[in-house]
This record gives sequence, structure tokens and C-alpha cells, in this order.
Amino acid sequence: MFEPAVGSAVEAAIPLLLTGWIEYILENPDQFAVMLREHLQMVVIGVTAAIAVAVPAGIAATRHPTVGSAVMNMGAIAQTVPPLGVIALTFAFLGVGPRPAILALFLYGLLPILKNTVAGIQNVESAQVEAGRGMGMTSLQRLWRIELPLALPVIIAGIRTTIVLSVGIAYLGAFIGAGGLGQWIILGQQRYANEILLAGAIPGAILVILLDQAFGWLGARIGPTESSADDRTQTTVA
Amino acid sequence: MSHDTATETASNSIAFENVTKVYDDGTEAVTDVSFSVSSGETATLVGPSGCGKTTTMKMVNALVEPTTGTVSVDETPVSEYDPIELRRKVGYVIQDIGLFKHMTIEENVGIVPDIVGWSDDRIENRVTELLELVRLDDDVRTKYPQELSGGQQQRVGVARALAAEPEVMLMDEPFGALDPITREQLQNEFLDIQAGLDVTIVFVTHDIDEALKMGDKVAVLQDGELIQYDPPAELLRNPNNAFVESFLGEDRQLAQLQTVAVREVMGPANEAPTNDGGTPLSPDDTLRLAVQNWLRSETDVVPVVEDGTVVGSLSEVHIRSIFDGRSRAIEENHV
Ligand SMILES: Nc1ncnc2c1ncn2[C@@H]1O[C@H](COP(=O)(O)OP(=O)(O)O)[C@@H](O)[C@H]1O
Ligand SMILES: [Mg+2]
Repeated sequence: MFEPAVGSAVEAAIPLLLTGWIEYILENPDQFAVMLREHLQMVVIGVTAAIAVAVPAGIAATRHPTVGSAVMNMGAIAQTVPPLGVIALTFAFLGVGPRPAILALFLYGLLPILKNTVAGIQNVESAQVEAGRGMGMTSLQRLWRIELPLALPVIIAGIRTTIVLSVGIAYLGAFIGAGGLGQWIILGQQRYANEILLAGAIPGAILVILLDQAFGWLGARIGPTESSADDRTQTTVA
Repeated sequence: MSHDTATETASNSIAFENVTKVYDDGTEAVTDVSFSVSSGETATLVGPSGCGKTTTMKMVNALVEPTTGTVSVDETPVSEYDPIELRRKVGYVIQDIGLFKHMTIEENVGIVPDIVGWSDDRIENRVTELLELVRLDDDVRTKYPQELSGGQQQRVGVARALAAEPEVMLMDEPFGALDPITREQLQNEFLDIQAGLDVTIVFVTHDIDEALKMGDKVAVLQDGELIQYDPPAELLRNPNNAFVESFLGEDRQLAQLQTVAVREVMGPANEAPTNDGGTPLSPDDTLRLAVQNWLRSETDVVPVVEDGTVVGSLSEVHIRSIFDGRSRAIEENHV
């Protein structure tokens, strides 16, 4: 289909494609700022709500095995409904605007956080918990002082997955008037203007990378220090 | 090591009465075990892996509930205590150390004082005191357990168990994971530490030499049953059965020499030669040292000297006496 000449024309257009979107953003800074804010707002509210529900639910699941499997099943079911489906369904009840989008983000965010909270707590070495018990800690003290701190890196990894997922899903918000960076995707498609499309898409990709990095760093900082054998110190006893 | 009999008048700090433990899966881990540990004494529980040592020990701090029988601490059945309160009063050195990985050494040592609500200042002072006691540099405070050597971690484990000034301490193979040299060093240091404390200890080990060294009394367990519970010297002298004998090992006579003082077997002073030429023995020397001196001595009888006066004599007959029934008669005459 593509003649060689056309192919090289595409190649020649690539630098243009890659710079055009920056210019578009610079030409429309106010609109960009509003969309970015709307986008982040959906993500932050959706993810915060998901954390607020999934972490306690995950903890509850580790305390009671029956509650545990019920909770995990619900989380898994929430995950199987396509995001657009959720938006379409809830849109009928919640109307136009950011609310159905936030609901979709919330439902999607649940499972990764839930799964990781449960796995993180379950994978805490039983010897550590037993030590706490032998020391006279109540079950709440064991949770706060041993299980949660030791599970935290895994829980944070779940939140990281949810955030990355949410930045992508939030693009759909534009279809139901919730705003966000998706608006430029729609606009770009309507006008066959790649630079507008990219001006909407690339900031989202950058956002994902930045958030992913930030959480990776946070997880490493919070986790128990895993020092290698060669920086062990030898003070009194060899 | 205080194998003296003076403590026997003290009250029983820990008592097991016909205690049996059957786990939910049907494993009978402990069968009809009865013994008691006097206040301030150390009892070592020894036996092969899986014989029920840990299970027995965990019934003292209510981590395991007996199926039948009663375990008492300070003359009160464990079942009548609030388990949380009891565990906070009983120091616990966990098998495989069990330091909290996400906490600094300081936080690890101070954990029990912290959960029972001591002030930060008091905890800090106590941690300083304990690190000194277990001979760790103060700069380990801010380190994490993984940054310490095995021996250092074990010291932290002991310090943590001592933190809230417990009257009873449970130690589950505390030095089990260490190399022999570090282990011996820690054993000796712990004996020193313990001599300065008024604490009743249950010490679990699978190493008979450690059991004999650390215990005022040694409980030998086999398949959940208590086969023998005696002071080390008595255990070596009169093993109850073939199992205990084989467990004590081929060299039990040598070990036995280590547990008896010259005073317990020596003969009258008038049998001592006036001029021996060798190093005189003290009545408190172990027989093991005495045998060494005796072998080096020119004469068959070695004088025993205390404060410059000859108080007894030691010959081959006296040394041999510990290996036959006569030793008891001799011991009774002297104690
Ligand atoms: N929680 C448990 N449930 C079932 N069986 C157990 C449990 N803990 C220990 N046992 C079993 O009880 C026996 C004694 O174990 P333990 O007291 O740990 O022995 P030791 O400390 O002497 O090695 C073993 O057969 C062990 O497998
Ligand atoms: Mg054990």
C-alpha cells in the first residue's frame, strides 16, 4: 500500500509530528492546564477512594478467610467489566461530568491494591508475627507494628499499578464531559490533527512515567533496608 | 554456672504438672511431663529435633495451650493470666533470633518497654544499659538487624528479651545458629550476665554440652516424654536409661569431671603429702583440672589447699569415686 516515496514522506514528517504537539500546548496553555488539572483530579480522587476501601478490605480479608475470598471475588468481578461499560452504565445514574469517570477509576483501582494488600500481609514471615505475639503484642499492635510496615512495599506496588492504570482510563472521561486530556484526543481525531492528538496523549504518557518512578522510589525508601552482605559492619563480634 | 543446692528452698517459679499437648492435627508433641524450676534457677530442655522442647517452652508464655495438665508461673496457673500481660512479663528469645527486620536495633530492644508504655527517655536509657550489658557498641543503635553479624544479632535478641526486666526468661536455641567459637563466647558471657540477675530461665537446646553448661538442671526429652530431670553432675553420674547415656555421648566421663568440684570428693587433710612440689589444688577447682594436675604430679596424692592451709587430699581413688555409687555417700558427707 505504501510506496517507498510515501514511506520516506512519513519519515520526513516524523520530526514535524514530534514537535507540533509542543507548539500546540504552548499556544493553548490555559486550556492545557485546565485539562491536566481535571485529569489529575479524576485520578487522585478515584485512586484515593480505591486506597481508602481496598487497604482496609485487604486487611479484613487477611483476618477472616471467608471475608477474604468474598472480597477478592468482588474485586476480580469489578475488574472484568470494561471501563467504558462502567462509564456508560453509571452515566445513566450519575449524569454527565466527572462522577461516572471517578466511579470507574475507583472500581478499577480496587483490585490491584486489594490483591497486593492481601499478598503483602500474607507474605510477612510468620516468625516475625510470632515474635510479636511472644513479646506480648495485641493483634492490633502486631498489625500496625509488624504486618503493615513489612507489607508496605507490596501495598505501594499495588497503588503504583492502580495509578498507572488510572491515568490511562481517565482519558475516557472526555467522552462523558468529565474533561481531562482525552478532550484533545477527541478533538485531534475530529480534525485529523495529529499534533492535537499527541498534545493530549504524550503528557499522559509522561505523567505515567513520572508517577511510576516516584512510586518506585517511594517503595524502595519505605521497604526494610536490604543491605548486601559486604556492607555488614563488624563491631564487637566477628 | 551455679550448681549449688542452696536455691532449692526457693519457691517454684515455673511448674509443669502432668502436661500433655496434642496439636489439632493429632501430633502428640508433649506427653505427661512434670517438672519444676525454682526461682532464680536455669533449666535446660535438651533432646533431638522434634522431641517437644519448643512446645514445652511455649506453654510457659501461653503461646501453646496444654491439652491436659497445668503449667504454673509463680504458683499461678498460666490459664489464669491474661496472655498478653503474661508475655510482656516473660522475656523471650526466639528460635532463629526473630529480630524485627524493619526496626532498628534500638527499636527492637525497646519494643516491649514501648508497648507497655514506658517513656521515651526511660526506653533510651534502658537500651543504652542493655547494649552495654550484652557488649554491643552503642553505634549499632541505628542499624538494622541485617547489617549485623549472627553473633551480634543474637546479643540483640538477648537484650530485647531482658528489656522489661523479666523475672522469667525463655530462650529457644538462642545460640543455635552460631559458629562454635562465637557460641562459646556468648554462652560464657550469658552465664556472667545471668549471675547478676534474679531471673528464672528455661533454656532450650539440642546440644547436650550446652545443656550441661548452662543448666542448673537438665531436662532430657525424647519423643515428647521427659526421660530425666537432674542437675548436670547427677545426669552424668547416673543416666536413667540407654537413651540418656547415648545422648550424653562417649565422652561423658570427661564431661562429668567438669561438673564436680574437688571439695566434693577429696580425702582427709592428714593423708596429704607434706611436700608435693606441684601446684596445689583449690577445693573449688573442677575435677577435670585436678586430673590434669594429678597426672603431672610426682606423687600419687595431691594436697588440696585453701587460704594457705591444707584442707584435703586427692588421689586416684577419690577421682574414680565419682564414677561409682560411692560418690553419693561422699557428697552427702560433705554437703
Ligand atoms: N503448630 C503445630 N502443629 C502441629 N504439630 C506441631 C506444631 N508445632 C510443632 N509440632 C510438632 O510437634 C512435635 C514437637 O515439635 P517442637 O516442640 O517444635 O520440637 P523441638 O522444639 O524439640 O524441635 C514435632 O513433631 C512437630 O512437628
Ligand atoms: Mg524447637
